[in-house]
Amino acid sequence: MNRLKFVRSQETTSSRLLTVVLLTALALAITFVLPPVADSQLAGGAAITIVILGLSWLIGWSGQISLGNSGFMAVGAYAAGIWASHHTTTPLVFTFVLATVAGAISGLIVGLPSTRLRGPYLAGMTLAFAAAITPLAQNFTSVTGGSGGLFLSSLVTPSWFLHLFSGQNATINANAQWTADLAVLIAGLTFFIMANLFHSRTGRAMRLVRDNDVAAELMGISLSRTRTMAFVVAASFAGLGGALYTVINTTVNPQTFPVTLSITLLTLMVLGGIGTLSGAVIGGIIYAFSPNLITHINALTGVNPTSNLGSNMQGIIFGVLLILTMIFAPRGIAGLSPRLGRLVKLRK
Amino acid sequence: MTDPTPRTVTLALDNVTVRFGGLLALNDVSFRVHEQEIVGLIGPNGAGKTTAFNVACGFQKPTSGSVAFPKMGRGALKPSQLAKAGVARTLQGVGLFGQLTILENVMAGAQSRPGGSVVSSALGLPSGLRLQRAVRVEAMHELERLGIAKFAGALPGAVPYGIAKKVSIARALMTRPQLLMLDEPASGLDENELADFSRLIAELRSSTSVLLVEHNMDFVMQLVDYLVVLNFGQVIAMGSPSEISTNPDVLAAYLGIDE
Repeated sequence: MNRLKFVRSQETTSSRLLTVVLLTALALAITFVLPPVADSQLAGGAAITIVILGLSWLIGWSGQISLGNSGFMAVGAYAAGIWASHHTTTPLVFTFVLATVAGAISGLIVGLPSTRLRGPYLAGMTLAFAAAITPLAQNFTSVTGGSGGLFLSSLVTPSWFLHLFSGQNATINANAQWTADLAVLIAGLTFFIMANLFHSRTGRAMRLVRDNDVAAELMGISLSRTRTMAFVVAASFAGLGGALYTVINTTVNPQTFPVTLSITLLTLMVLGGIGTLSGAVIGGIIYAFSPNLITHINALTGVNPTSNLGSNMQGIIFGVLLILTMIFAPRGIAGLSPRLGRLVKLRK
Repeated sequence: MTDPTPRTVTLALDNVTVRFGGLLALNDVSFRVHEQEIVGLIGPNGAGKTTAFNVACGFQKPTSGSVAFPKMGRGALKPSQLAKAGVARTLQGVGLFGQLTILENVMAGAQSRPGGSVVSSALGLPSGLRLQRAVRVEAMHELERLGIAKFAGALPGAVPYGIAKKVSIARALMTRPQLLMLDEPASGLDENELADFSRLIAELRSSTSVLLVEHNMDFVMQLVDYLVVLNFGQVIAMGSPSEISTNPDVLAAYLGIDE
């Protein structure tokens, strides 16, 4: 009886695909009712979700800390920016694949030495990587556009999509929503890929190394290869997320990827729930709509948004949320609702 | 060796010496484990049993001497190469993966088998899933065989110690070993569990050879075919349990009797 139960409880790719398709369809439906500004925010949140998925894999599943994810994002963003600003006619998918590969390579470069480092040393090394990327981008002006960055042409909304809209501001609405829909679709795809990875043999190898590296080696796992692989996957997700972020904003510059973004990503991941798929989505949603919350709080407290306090409100809010989460929901918001988790079979 | 009929050797340590700075942990140690044989490695605390184990598993490089797995046609192996070559080792305590269920822990034993690349995992291709499902069924069978299937969904921290020990054996068996190395399998077990374990290990004889490090002499004496006794890093005696139990050197080492 037990055997049957456990063998059946193994979810299949098709059930996972169905879940992802339903969730993506829901998100797409939501873009139809959101105003253009919110659609743009949602698009940014989708890009961040992809990055957090990778981070969650790296930290939650392979047990390796990384403060370098803003750097991996920047690599993907610049790869996309440099390519797309010169090759305006190539399909967008090519830009995304290129950025993913660029992210993966940067993950390999950072990941290889990282296999010998643990805890604070690993955090320091990845932090150094993230900190080095911005000056690099600033100094290679001929390639990266220096401090001013690069500018991309806007996404072209297909005419069949434009036809769905009418009335005033039809084009603006259509453009904002097309961008959001594209971002949601890409996030849905990466969510599906990460869901597969989480439940795969590769995903198990990560958790074995995390839980007991000596025993994992005895299971035939190469620790260095597995740890490097964790970085490669996480960095390729970050690269794709960074590219999507760039395409959405039609610009990339060094100020977009400060080291503090790594901390923000980490905070969002913890708020959502480390090592959970739904947690990454929650983190992305928090990121997308935190400006609204901040506006509300500024209005309520009468803090001038342009003042020193007002301009740092995001950090303050995230900090408070993080402390509250650590106290009341150490497993993040996703961990608060096991039923939701079971429903969409996300949590492990 | 005094064995009259030549049998295939699964593990051979030849003249292994290990030095930690000024300390001689192993001194010219040689012994063999043959197929379908249960060999016990015994000796007082600090005699070098675990070091010998670690040398065999590649966790410790010998200062001199060699390790080989003749039956598998392999020389010294790195720890991560053992499973694929057919060598399984359990760790002192239980050494399970704390955040994985018992079933997943046992499935981990199949990790070294071929079963899909990262890309096929990411895409959820059916071939990889089929293999995983087969592994899951096999792991469940293994748990059923050991009579602990009802714990399949539990985390290791939530099951009794004796059960966790069995899980570590089930996990080792999932690697389909030709040589099973057990590090203190009897420690922490009660009388009933000991009898159970003894039976279980004896049953494995048909499929694998076993090398075990153990302190519990009652457990070892009735289980093993052959004993290697270490003291101060040296082999002081080898032979059948009955030979060893009357060996004056062994008695002196264990009881402190001066000759």
